[in-house]
Order: sequence, then C-alpha cells, then structure tokens
Amino acid sequence: MKPSTLQAGTSNARKWKRLLRGELGLILILAVIMVTFSILSPYFFTSRNLLNITRQVSITLIVAIGMTFVILIGEIDLSVGSIAAVVGVATAVSLKASGSLTLALLAGLGLGAAVGLVNGLLTVYGKVQSFIVTLAMLGIARGAALVWTDGKPVSRLPSAFGTLGAGYLGVVPVSTIIAAGVFVLAFLVLNKTKHGIYTRSIGANREAARLSAIAVTRYRILAFVVSGLMSALGGILITSRLLSAQPTAGEGLELNVIAAVILGGASLSGGVGTVFGTLLGAMVIGVIDNGMNLVGVSSFFQQIVKGIIILIAVLAKRSD
Amino acid sequence: MGMPVLALKGIDKRFGGIHALRNVDFSLEEGEVHALLGENGAGKSTLIKILTGVHHRDGGQMLLNGTDVRIENPLDARKKGIAAIYQELSLIESLTVAENIFLGHEPATSFLGTIRRSELFEASSDYLRTFGIQLDPRETVSELGMGQKRIIEIIKALSIQAKVLLLDEPTTGMSQAEIETLFEIMDDLKKKKVNMIYISHHLDEVFRVCDRATVLRDGENAGTFQVAKLDVETLVQAMLGRSLKEEFPPRKGTPSREVLLEAREFQAEGMVEPVDFHLHRGEILGITGIIGSGKSELALGLFGASRTQKGALLLEGKHVQLPSPSRAKKMGISFVPEDRKAQGLFLRLPVRHNLNVAHLEPCETLGFLSGKKMQSRALRTGRQLKVVPLDPAMPAQNLSGGNQQKVVIGKWLGNSPRIFILDEPTRGIDIGAKTEIYALVNSLADSGASVLILSSEFREMASVCDRVLVMRKGKFIAELEREGATTKKIMTLALGG
Repeated sequence: MKPSTLQAGTSNARKWKRLLRGELGLILILAVIMVTFSILSPYFFTSRNLLNITRQVSITLIVAIGMTFVILIGEIDLSVGSIAAVVGVATAVSLKASGSLTLALLAGLGLGAAVGLVNGLLTVYGKVQSFIVTLAMLGIARGAALVWTDGKPVSRLPSAFGTLGAGYLGVVPVSTIIAAGVFVLAFLVLNKTKHGIYTRSIGANREAARLSAIAVTRYRILAFVVSGLMSALGGILITSRLLSAQPTAGEGLELNVIAAVILGGASLSGGVGTVFGTLLGAMVIGVIDNGMNLVGVSSFFQQIVKGIIILIAVLAKRSD
Repeated sequence: MGMPVLALKGIDKRFGGIHALRNVDFSLEEGEVHALLGENGAGKSTLIKILTGVHHRDGGQMLLNGTDVRIENPLDARKKGIAAIYQELSLIESLTVAENIFLGHEPATSFLGTIRRSELFEASSDYLRTFGIQLDPRETVSELGMGQKRIIEIIKALSIQAKVLLLDEPTTGMSQAEIETLFEIMDDLKKKKVNMIYISHHLDEVFRVCDRATVLRDGENAGTFQVAKLDVETLVQAMLGRSLKEEFPPRKGTPSREVLLEAREFQAEGMVEPVDFHLHRGEILGITGIIGSGKSELALGLFGASRTQKGALLLEGKHVQLPSPSRAKKMGISFVPEDRKAQGLFLRLPVRHNLNVAHLEPCETLGFLSGKKMQSRALRTGRQLKVVPLDPAMPAQNLSGGNQQKVVIGKWLGNSPRIFILDEPTRGIDIGAKTEIYALVNSLADSGASVLILSSEFREMASVCDRVLVMRKGKFIAELEREGATTKKIMTLALGG
C-alpha cells in the first residue's frame, strides 16, 4: 500500500468517528425516540402531529440559535427568557398604542437588541463574567416586565397579530417558516462567513484570536446582541400565539435553550458547536415533550424522563 | 557500581499497529542524573508513561531495587517512590506554598482532623531551608514565578521520600538565574542519593547536570553515553542519525541594506525603557537575551498587541501609526507568539481553521467563504511546511509540538508577509522540526521578507541570524554581525559576563 492511500484510509475512519460523535449520533438518538413514540401512539407519526412539533419547537429553536452564538464565543446568556417576556410586553403595549404592527415589531426587536448590547458591554468592558451579568439581567428584565404591567397580562391584541405565532401558510405553521428562515441565516453566517469563523476562534482561544488580528471585542459584544435579538423574536412569537403578553412568559426558557445547545454538541467552554446540532437538540427536546403528552405521561413525571434522556444523550455522545 | 536502583530490560510497547518501544533498556544507578534524550516521537514519553504507570508494558522487565515490579497507575508509582515532574505544573495556584508541598499527606492533624497550620508552615520552612530557598511558606503559589513554582514542585515530590525523580523539561519558562538554582538543588540532591531522570531538548543543560545519557530513536536504544566523554556532535548524531551540520541549513541569500522598519524610542507595556533599532529588507535579525530581558514584550508591542505603546515606527522611511493587531496585519506584519498553545493555536479546532483564520479574504466572494478554497489553501500551506500528518479536518491538538508550531507559522503565510516576528519559534520542539523551521526562515528572507527572531537559544541565534542584537535588562547592549556572532560571545554578553 502506498503511504498516501494509507493516510486516506485512516482519515476516513476518523471522519466517521467524528460524525458519529457529532450530528449523526444525535440523528440516531432522535430516530430511536421517534420510533419509540410511533409504537406507543398511533397519532405520533402523522404529518399533522409532526408539523405541530415543528411549531412547538420553533420558539426554543430561535432562542437557542441566538444562544449558540453566545456559547460558541465562550459566554453564556441566562437572560433570554426575561428578555422574551419584557419584549412581549413592549410589543403588545406599542401595538395597542400605535396600531402599527411594523412599529410594534421594530420596538420589540430593538429592545431585545438593546438589552443584548448592555449584556455585551458589561461583559466585555466591565470585565464581569457573562454568567453574572446575564443572571442580573434575568432579574432586571423580568422585574421590568412585571412592574410595567403590574403583573397582569396585556391582552385583547388585534387578531391579525396572531398570524405570526398561531397562523398557517397552507399546512405549514408560520412560526415554523420563521424558524426555518432564522436557521438558514444563522447556518450561513456561522459556516460561510468570517463572522462565524471569528466567533468560533474567539471561543476556542481568545488570546490566540486577538493575536490573529481578530476584532475580539466587537464580535463578543455582537454575540450578545444576536442573542438579545433572537430572544426578542421568541418573545414576539409567544405573545402572538397567545394574543396576550404575559409578564411571566418564558420562565425557565433559558434552561431548555441551553440544554438544546449542549445536546447539539456545543461545548460550554466555547469554540465547538453547530446550528445544525442545535436544531437537532431542540428537536429532541420538542419530540420528547410532544410524545410524552400524547402517550399521557404525567407532567410531573415528564420532567424526570426529559432529564434522564438528556443525560443519556450527552453521555452517549461523549468522546472517549 | 552496585545494583541499579531502577532497571528496565527489553521493554516492548505497541499501540495498535504502531510499535512505540522495541526492546528498550535503561538503567539508573545510585546517585546519578541520567538524561533521556530523543526527538519527539522517539519513545521518550511512552517510556516515562510506563515508568509512572500511565501505560503498561507489553513485554520486558522493570526492576526496582532488584525486584520485578509492575506499576499499576500514577498513584502506585508515587507509593513505590517514583515521582514525576512534568512541564505542566500540578500545583494548586490558590493554596499556599506549605499547603501545596504537603497536599495529600499533611504532617500533623489535631484531634478534630483539622490541619495544624503552624506545624505545616514549620515543616515547610525546614524543607525550604534545606534547599536554601528564600521563600515564605505562607505565600500563595499564584504569586510565585515559574522557577519558584518548579522548585516547589520538586520539594513536593521529595516530601514523599521519592527515590526516583523524573524531570520532564524542568527549565521551561525559567530564567537563567532560576535554572542555575535548580541545577544547584539537583547537585545537592545527587549528594543525598536521590536518583534523577532528566528529559530536555536543551543539550547544554544535559552537559551541565547529567552523568549519563541514553538516547532513543524510533522506539529503540540508540546508545548510552558517559556525558563527561561526550560531545554535542556525537549526541546529535545519535538522536538524528545524521550530523549536526545539517541542523542549521545554509543561508543562501544576503540581506539588502535598505531599511524596511525602523523603531525610534519605541516602548511597549512591560518594557523597562525605550529602544531604537532597524530591520533591513530580506534580513534575519535576532534579538536575544535571557527571560526577563524584555524581548517578548517588545515582540507583542511591535505587533500592536500590548496595552500601551509609545514612540515612533517608520515603515520604508515613512512614519506609520503605532499598530494594533489588525493594522499590523494590513502592514504585512505577521506574529508567531512565544507560547504556541496559549497564544498561537485553536487547539480543539481543525488544522484547516488554524491555517486560514488570520487571512480569510482570498477565500471570500461577496462576503461568503468557500470551503473548497479554505481546504486547498490549508493543503498547500501544510505541504509547504511539511505538516505531518496533513489532515485539514483534524484538531490541531492531535499534532506533535513541532507540527503545531508549523501550523502557527503557516497561519500567516497567506498574508504575503513583509515582516515576520517569531518569538521563541523553536521552544520545546524536536531537532527535525527545528531544522525545517530554520529552512523556512531562510526561504522567507530569500523571498524578500524580513524576519525578526526573538529567542533565548544562543546557538540558534548564532547559526541562523544575519545580525544579532543582545538585550540585557531591557537595553540593547551589543550588535553582532553574522561573522562575529558566536554562541559563546552571545551567551557571555546576555548573561552579563
């Protein structure tokens, strides 16, 4: 055997190993879960239910995509659920005040991006760990939503607003289409642009990134802005689906979202992870939730099962 | 000589299809320092890992004081009196010196099981005094310098009554004075019948401190020598299977007299005082001095990566704004930092990523990157630098030290660099990879780029550079042209003789 073919052989084997530990492994896990539920419930594997799952997953997925940027760059954002809530309130209030959907959406997205910017500035220039900064923001944003509404939901929103979160285009839920658009965009940015390469580099080794002439500060702040923006979009979809802005919306969302990203193969220490992995992670969580509801598992028990499945999935994918 | 303290006979070890060690013999006599030498991949680490119980031998014998033993795991090794000190320190930074020394075997506990701190500090003071170290045992380890930490590590190993002490590249990151203290301690230990195995890429250290040297090549014995009767040529010949003259490839081109970069009153954060120097087009300029002389700070400053910079820089005779890393990149300045793992590489990311990250523009169309172009650029650079194995999808951490260093250098080759700044480019890498890096430096200079090498390896300075500036305590104290720059002269100047 020539040395070149030998090398190709081992590198192919390595490639397969890498794939199995990465996305392929997760696809298999997802398949096993889906087959199990299909056997347990005849309704599970119908096109109607599968589309329903995509709608249920869309909000987690959108927020998780923002989180992927933050985790890839080596930070964390705990404030996503609170941002979703305060943005929901802001959108609802401006919609009622102005009557303009465009204005309301801009206000909501702008607020999300602004909160993300504050998170980023405090982390980068204030040199405080993002865990602490966003933990504080989790309280501040949630509190702001509660104070603003006096703890009561902002309801009776124009029904046209409900299209985003609850409407359908043909048989496909609108929120599924929005999530798919966000996914494609994030996939392109992370895999096909400098922004993606730099984000990954900074997460893998910030000092080496700085010494490779990468604008570290800018990209770190941007990651929080992206996360804020995606949380805002999530908050708008929640509000639209309910036609009401709940100041308590999105409580615990950060945990589901972080679970999806980590399940998707991202490393909490940064540098490693993909949006495709995040998509699969969000799907695993969504499918478990949906399937257990169909099978009639009690909601108390569901939490235990979900925790166990997440542990098994992460352990199975663990290298070495 | 009596019975050896430790004797390895016919050690064999395979990893899958790779025969890592083949019938290797090694013996350690009472009271000796025995160097274990060889290029990266020669089998040194495998042998050490068998000694410390990380790996288990497939064949052969291991005699400790004459009895055949099997080391189950690193803890077992310590129990049997084999202590290892690795390049990466195992001290706990947030604890005191005393707590670190006695970690896991605290000398005295009160009836409640709590540690009597006064006794801990006293026992530590005794140890420190024995070795003539001026250090408060109450000091937190994170406050100490690299040399002091290494010495604490040694004392920690000795506090468990180690009979065999393994030192793996112990002088990494230490200043010349600290190295001298280490050697004095080793001389002292030798008198106390502590037996040591010494692993280092620095042959001068081997000559200074070792009694015998065993060389491994491709997993086999390549000779055991009495150091007193040995010369560098023979040793390198044994390691490489080729002669020393080939270590430094000949320089074909000559530098032009045209000044490319001039620094006036330039001072970056951490430098004692401002410096002036100039760099010619196509020149290999060396800046040397011991650790702490301020050369790494100068390197960071020239790339615009320190927090503050003062003074003036002239590029081709014109004043330029003091650089930031991105301005430096635009000016065609490339920088290979001192610590390749902490500052140079994205260890967990693929080689392809590492080789492209500093210069993505050619792979970009309308803001989108082409994976194909990145792949082919990585392959081209990898081939040019002889990175082995060349798999662009493999994480950089799977490469050996020398190949990792090639990747750090390769990161900048696409930038058509005009000025290459290399800080300690051959630290801790094997001679084969060193030779390849020197050849690359030569070809860069021949193609018209200027190379600035900052290094504390005096032999390298003397053999590679067209001109050498010697730095001491932040000042340039001498300028030597190639003809006058001998290793001995540079060393004498740098050490202040």
